[in-house]
Order: sequence, then C-alpha cells, then structure tokens
Amino acid sequence: MSTENLSTQEKQSLSNLHPLEVLVLKDLHKNSPITEVSLVEHTGLEPAQVSMSIGWLQAKKYIQTSSESILKTVSLTPTGIEFSKSGSLLEKVFNSAIKYKQNNTPLTMKTLQANLELQASDLSGPIGALKKEGSIRIGPGGSLEPTCQESTLVTELQTLIQDIAHGASNYADRPETQRKTIDIFSQRRGRSQEPFRIDETTIRSFSLTTTGASIANNVSTTGVKEGYAQLTPEILKDESWKTKTPRPYNIALRPPRIAVGKKHPYRAFLDKVKVRLVSMGFEEMRGPIVESEFWNMDTLYMPQFHSARDIHDVYFVKDPLYSESISEPYISQIAQTHRDGWTTGSRGWGYPFNEKRTRRLVLRSQGTAVSSRTLSAKPKIPGKYFSIARCFRYDQIDATHATDFFQTEGIVLGTTITFETLLGLLELFAKEMAQAKKVKFVPAYFPFTEPSVELHVEHPKLGWMELGGAGLLRPEVTHPLGVKVPVIAWGLGLDRMAMVALDIHDIRDLFTSNLDLIRQKPLPF
Amino acid sequence: MPTIDFPKRDLDILIGQPFTLTELDKWLLLVKGEIKSYDADKDELKIELQDTNRPDLWCAEGIARQIRIKINEGPHHYSFFNPTKKNIDKIMVAQGLDTIRPYIAGFKATGYTLSEQGLAQLIQTQEKLADIFGRKRKSVSIGVYRLNPIQFPITYTLTNPDTTRFTPLGFEEPMTLTEIIKNHPKGIEYGTSLIASNGKHHFPVLMDSKGTILSFPPIINSSEVGEVRVGDQNLFIEVTGTDLRMVLQAINIFAVNFADRGAKIDPIKVIYTGPTELGQEFQVPYNCSPELEVSQENVSTVLGKSLTLKAAKQALVEYGYQVKTRGKVLSVKQPSYRDDLMHPVDAIEDVAISNGYNTFPATLPSEFTVGGISESEKISDKVRELMLGFGFQETLSNILSSKDDLIMKMNLKNEHIIEVDNVMSLTYSCVRQSIIPSLLRVEAASSHSFYPHRIFEAGEIVQPNQKAETRADTLNGVCALLAHPNANFSEMHSYVDQLFYTLGLIYKIEPTSHESFIEGRVGNLVIGEKTCGLLGELHPQVLSNWQITMPCTVFELILDVLPKSHTS
Repeated sequence: MSTENLSTQEKQSLSNLHPLEVLVLKDLHKNSPITEVSLVEHTGLEPAQVSMSIGWLQAKKYIQTSSESILKTVSLTPTGIEFSKSGSLLEKVFNSAIKYKQNNTPLTMKTLQANLELQASDLSGPIGALKKEGSIRIGPGGSLEPTCQESTLVTELQTLIQDIAHGASNYADRPETQRKTIDIFSQRRGRSQEPFRIDETTIRSFSLTTTGASIANNVSTTGVKEGYAQLTPEILKDESWKTKTPRPYNIALRPPRIAVGKKHPYRAFLDKVKVRLVSMGFEEMRGPIVESEFWNMDTLYMPQFHSARDIHDVYFVKDPLYSESISEPYISQIAQTHRDGWTTGSRGWGYPFNEKRTRRLVLRSQGTAVSSRTLSAKPKIPGKYFSIARCFRYDQIDATHATDFFQTEGIVLGTTITFETLLGLLELFAKEMAQAKKVKFVPAYFPFTEPSVELHVEHPKLGWMELGGAGLLRPEVTHPLGVKVPVIAWGLGLDRMAMVALDIHDIRDLFTSNLDLIRQKPLPF
Repeated sequence: MPTIDFPKRDLDILIGQPFTLTELDKWLLLVKGEIKSYDADKDELKIELQDTNRPDLWCAEGIARQIRIKINEGPHHYSFFNPTKKNIDKIMVAQGLDTIRPYIAGFKATGYTLSEQGLAQLIQTQEKLADIFGRKRKSVSIGVYRLNPIQFPITYTLTNPDTTRFTPLGFEEPMTLTEIIKNHPKGIEYGTSLIASNGKHHFPVLMDSKGTILSFPPIINSSEVGEVRVGDQNLFIEVTGTDLRMVLQAINIFAVNFADRGAKIDPIKVIYTGPTELGQEFQVPYNCSPELEVSQENVSTVLGKSLTLKAAKQALVEYGYQVKTRGKVLSVKQPSYRDDLMHPVDAIEDVAISNGYNTFPATLPSEFTVGGISESEKISDKVRELMLGFGFQETLSNILSSKDDLIMKMNLKNEHIIEVDNVMSLTYSCVRQSIIPSLLRVEAASSHSFYPHRIFEAGEIVQPNQKAETRADTLNGVCALLAHPNANFSEMHSYVDQLFYTLGLIYKIEPTSHESFIEGRVGNLVIGEKTCGLLGELHPQVLSNWQITMPCTVFELILDVLPKSHTS
C-alpha cells in the first residue's frame, strides 16, 4: 500500500505525525497490545517521551487502552535505608529490653526514650508490635520485660529490609508472611517513620484502533518524510526544506505572555479628550500647580471670606508662604473690584481686600486658575482655550474622592458670545464628549459666572448625568484682567465616564500602582 | 451648598397647591434646587440648594415663595416694610458695641400658633442662616424668644462678665458670662467670635426694661424667655451681627417667613448712639435693596438680540423684582429678603431663570479658531510615543506623595520640596519633585506581575524656585524604569541613546554622585552646558527601603528644559 492510495485526510494525518509518534506507531505495528515499559525498551526513548507520544496518539484516537492492571511495588523509605545500615527501631527496642533484663534493671519508657533520644509516640509502634508477637510484656511499674531471648519478628524484618535494599520489588511476588510484615511496617498516614513504602502503578497495555492500524501500517511500510519544527537559516541555506516537511503547529494553543508597551488606560482616555477638544478648535493652556490665592480665587471673584477658601477645602503650601508681589495693573484692579466693583458696573463685595492674603500660596484647587492666567495674558479674540489641569482638594480620600485629579476646563472668547452660544457649545460637548443626543440645561451657581448653567446629558450607558458646569464670566472677572468681550467658562466632569469606559469602580484605580491592573486593562476607545 | 429637609405637605401648603415630585423637580429650577431624596412614609423631602448667595431659599418658606411668585405672575407685598407713624417698641443700642458686634434688628410675630413642624423649620432656618450665611454665628446670629414675658424697650449693651448672670438654655443654674464662655458647650464653640481685633474680649447682652437678660449673643439664650415651645403664640425674633446689610437681610427673611405662615409682623425701632449708613434710628424689618439700572444693551449682550426689554421686565416681575421703566432703561429692585444684586448680569440671570433656560435657542459659536496643544505637551507626547515604541508600559500616578517616599526612601537629605501646610494625611502631604519615586511605588507594588518590567511615566513635577513668581516651577518630565534580573545601566543607556537620537539632540553623560544611585553607575544627561536629567542604577539601600528585590535602572528627563528648537 502506497501513500497514493490514501485519502486526503489520511495524508494529512501522516504529515502531522511527530517523529516520536512515528517510532511508537512503528513498534505498535509489530507488537500490539504493548505496555509503556516495553515501548521504552523497544524504542530506546526516554519514558517521558514515550508517555508524551502515547498521550498525543490517544488524543488522535490512533491507539486505545486494551487492558489495565495495578502493579504494587515495595521499596525502602529513607528510614528503611537507615535501618538497613544500623538496624531497625524494633531491634533496638528489643535489644534494650534484653540488656536491662541482664543487668536486672527495670526498663521504663522514660529511660528508653532518653537512651534512644525519641518521643513516646515514635516508640508506641515497635512496642505494640513486639507485645503483639509476645516477645515482650509490660512488667511492674510499666517496665518493659523480654519473654524470650530472640524475636522472630525482629529477625524477619531485618532480613526483609536487607533484601529490599537491593531494589524495589513486586509486592505480589512475595510470600504471604513477608507481605504481612511489609504491611505492618509500611508508611501510611500517621506512620511516616516506617521502613517500607508501597507504590501502586497502573500498568496499561495499548493497542491500535482501526484508523491507527491503517496509519501504523503506512508509517511502517512507506515511512514518512522527515519533518522540522523551526525553519532555520541552515534549512534555508542547505535547501533541505525541499525534502523536509514543516510540521503543522497546534495553533489553538494560548500564546506565551510578553511584556509590551501600551498607553496607560486613563491617559489614553485623556488623550482622546485632548484630540476632541483640539479638533473643535481649542488651544491648550498650562499653568503652575503651586498657585497664589490671587490667581486661584481672587481673580475669579471669590471673596476672601468665601467658605470654599478655608483650610478645609484648599491645600496651603507650608514653605514658602507667599508668592512674589502680584503684577500691576491686575492686583490693583482685582482688589478694587472686590472692594467696590471698580469700573465693572458692579457694587463689589464691599470688604477690605487683603493684599497679603492674596499672595498666599496654595496647590491649585480648580482648573479655572489656568483660565484666569490666560485671560490676563492677552488672549486671542476670537479664542478658544482648554486645559486638562491637575487640581488638589482637601478631601477625605475614598472611592469617589481623589487627592489630586484632572479637571478639564476652558474658556471661549468672542464678540458674538452670548448665553445662546454658551448653550450651543454645551450641546456640542454633550454630543462630542458623551455621545448624548438629549441635553438639559439647569440653572447653577458658580462665583465667577453669571448666568451659570449645569449641563445634564443622557449618556448611552449611564442615563441622565451631570456632564459639566459653565457660564458667562462675570464682568468682575474679565474687566480687571483686561478682557472686554464676553467669555464662556466651562468645565467638564469626565472621571465618571472614564471609569465606565475603563470598567473601574474606585476613582483611586485611575492612578493605581498595580502594574498587573494597568497591563490587563483594554483600551476600548 | 446647604441641604434642608421638611415635609412635602408643608411645601404644598406654603405654595398653595399640591405638586407631584416631577412637577416639583421643574419648579426647583427656579431656586437652583435639586431633590436629594423623598421618604414617602415620613413625607420627608430633602432638597439641596446651590446658590450660596440666596439664604432666603434655605427653607421651605423661601422655596415656596419663589415658586408662588411665578405662579401668581408677581410678588406679594409685605406691608410691615412700610414706615409707620405709630409708636412702636424699641431696641436701644448702648455704647461700645461698634468694635465687636454693632448691629441688631428684630420684630414681633403674633397671632400665629407655633406647631411642631413650624418649630422644627424655625430651628433649621436659624441654624442654616447662622452657620453658613452668618459664618458660624460670627457675622450674623439669630435669637427667638417668647414675647409675653418681655418688657420693652430692650437694651443691647456690653456688660460685666463676672457680675452678670443668667440661666442659659440647657442648664439649671444661673451662670456668669465668664462661666458660660468657659463651661457651656456653645460658649466654648462660639466664644472666640467676641474677641475684638485688639484682643479685648467683649460681653454683649440683650436685657429688657426690667433688667431680665434675654440672651448673650451670639452664644446662648436665657432659658427663662429664650426657650420657645410648641404652642407658643407670640414671639420676639432678633438678629445681631457685624454687618448691617446682612443683619437686615436675615431679619427680613425671618419676617417674610413668619408672614407667609400667617403671623402678624410688628416692626421695631432700633436706636443707635451714633449714625449708621441708614441713620441713627430706623424701623426694622427694613428693605434696603438698592436700585439698579438694566439697559437693553445689558440684556442683549448676555441673552442675545431676541429678548426685548419689555419681556425682560415681565420675567423679572415674575421672579419677585420691583421693576420700573425709566425711559430706555429698567430700574430694578430685589425683594427685601435678597441681597445678591451686584451687577446687572445678576438680574439678567434671573430673567433667564424666570423664563427657563430651555426656552433659549442653543446656537453654536460661529467664530473660527485654530486648535492646538502647548509646546510642552507636544514634546511630552512625542517622548511618550517613542517610549511606547521602545516597549515601555505607561503608568500614571498621583503627584501628591509623602516625605517618606520622596526623601527618606530615596536616601536623600534635606532636599527642599513643596509641602502642604494643612495636612490631612501624611501619605498625601508633599508634591513630587521627581517621577522616580512614583515609578518605584509601582515597582514595589508589582513584584507579582511577570518580569521584565519596563515602565515609564510622563507628567508634572514641582521644584521650589525662589526666583519664580509662585516660588516653584511646574515642569513636565519623563521617567523610565527597568526592573528585571539583568537590568543595568547599559540597557537603559541604549534606550536613552535612541531617545535623544530620534529627538535630534546631541547629549553627553557626565559622571555624578547621587545618594539614590550606586556610586560610579550614575550620570547626568547634559545637552550643551545644561543638565536636563540623569541615568543610573538605583542603590541597593534605596531598593531595600522600598522593599524591592529586583535590580532597577532609571532615567529621568526634564522635558521643559530641552532646547526649544527641537520641541516643535
């Protein structure tokens, strides 16, 4: 029978064979059924290699188990090996009893323990066995007394130990008396210090299935082309690929893990936000993290007595305490606006503005601080600006409050800006940032905007949620900073959306130190 | 943002008709309020109010009033603000209060029986106003008394703290004012507000003409006349404080609240020893709302061209304003219980709220602008892209950290970093001056994650700088860390070399000495004459401090100091 007569499937099966499988099949073709041990002998392979190929061939249903038997073998434990050199514990106990009897001294358990340097629990086994045999008995005061000069059990055990010391042997081949002694002195649960161990192995014989027989026949009669696993530079150079067959891989296996370079999931999210904002015509602005109260609050028309400015809301810097003097004309104009409104048309907050307090250094508590700096730095008109600014709040840290976090916010300046364009911009944000079709505008309060509005949107996954706050900056904010056109200020709360996109439920996980968590997060946007 | 609770039924009665929660939700847009919860079994409604400048809304009466005005298309007129010719009861203000708590106002509420609900609401309003509006009783505090035992005129005067004694609320025995400051819980809590700026402690009291002490403002009432109970019919309410306008606003709020619940309000005359901004003596409650002009231009600038001045007038009237048309402008005046009109824009927001935000068309800003990112972020993004290409995993850390992480564990000594003054938790008390500790924190927490670890972070650091405007520089940096059994200087050097090459920068490594690194295996990264970072193998002591058992090599680069020509 030549390979030409084989079906396509059988041809494929042939080329799929591993060299190890070929050797095993060839032997099975001659000797079936056959045990694993015999296969090792016949093929000259390592037992592990034979066992591996048997596994493969069974999976392919080329061979089957034809019979199964259990082989019990007995061998020495480390204790047994020691006994074979220095005598068994049984022997030591019995000999001690004889020796003390000769000296007419009673052998107590305590003495025996001390002499042999063992615990009572170690001795209960041998003493029990000798008592059962009748070669010792318990005398007055609990002393151990021999009843005869020689114990058959001691002799028999020692002979067996010496015998088995030559190598493991078949338990079933031993006469019954020996099997009994082996049973008494073999390791089992609670008796770990015994000399013998009995191992049970299942001996299986394998035979070819019908398909297997046909494949084995083919392999034996026509042989298979030599295969290769890895295409190597050598195979390419010597052109042996022309005669050798590449063995197909099991491509269903999971691949090994590798360390790769990926964006951090939250940064990937923020990158996308950044790209969206830039695509809407926003220019990025930056500002310092250590900020003066002037830029962080005073320019935003938060009066110096405002409750959101105390030590329970803002982090103050320990050293140094104050910024350098605030540059003119801003300091005078802002101070005057707080006092009496300056020329803004406002009556002001009407309190004595503290020009030292305004220089007090804080950790930036709101991204709007960046906007007020931009307003003072001759911004473009029309102009659109954004920042994704690290901000800090004096908050108890928990699943919804982080100690530092990113605020996405910005401003829009233009002569045609009104409340209507503010709403238009927010509608655009709803669509671009939250894929929301429905929006609600809710009156809100911020110290630096009037009118102020909260943007509520219907998020496809989260339902109705607050997406952000915005408003037209008060003239008390813009005029003292030198801006005469209307300005929209807006801020977006994106953390909740980020957490949904990243499937995390604790805001602290946005900044996790757990590399596994970072490595395993998909970047689904 | 104050949160208040009351029975929904109470609100229905005050509005004049029952509402479903959905309807109420819409009406609450008028007061910047939001239903936080509703317990149907107890009929308890919890509402959060956003506007910190509208203390009149922090009670059921105020919320109901704003809604009622809209329904009735105009405000109710409270006649007790009108000056009366009648001989009314008086409060005499004595000398010496001007440095500590100069102002007082009050009124009598009669013909109304205080219900259990009414008392609970009264106490809640009193607390919210004194606490939030009155800044923990410092600027404004409120006292409520049974009217009948009081013999007018009342005197508001300073007194001797060791000889004046009365039984304060919550105590059985008379105490001197000194004892109250020391031992009464309210004395301990609010006593410091009576220390003048010169350090002198003052002790004001309210006393009737018989010499009975009514209270020791802002600390505590006398239990004799100052303990109001359910069933009381005639009450006296007073407000003391440091700011006349705030005192008047608070007394006005209480007066309209009582009036809205059906009480008759009797005004009182306050007589000072010298002139105030409203004269030496005047009747309270007193409407001191200023008039402000709102022009068509004001309206159009904010709300767009489509809204006429006439429409704005109607909207304001329906929001409680008194509005007169004077030629081409509106002269507007807020109701007596409000004092948040600083600029015409404030009235204009009320126009928008009165009409409803959703009645305005949303139009896209039409002016064209070019978007872009900052120079600093450009270079940062470029470096991030390269590091990702080199196979490094990006990390992102909190930049608040501890001195232990930033200094001690790094083996550094006395390095000046930015620390927080009002520390909440030592773990978050310093701003990082380097990204290296952030990456070591990740490494220390990730020994179970399979190796090799090649991680990096790009982000901000803050370094003190006496010459900077805010005494510190916020800088964009990048830092990378290698951790695996063979991680060494040479491997990281290869990445650094590639990085600089790709950025088109010529650099050199100058040997240096650094406490965090192994001597002889650390160098500064120098471009031209400028040091812009370093590269080295971390010292085993540093790794041991972090309990890291894997060799680590890092490089850190301050991106903001790289030559500018290469950053665009």
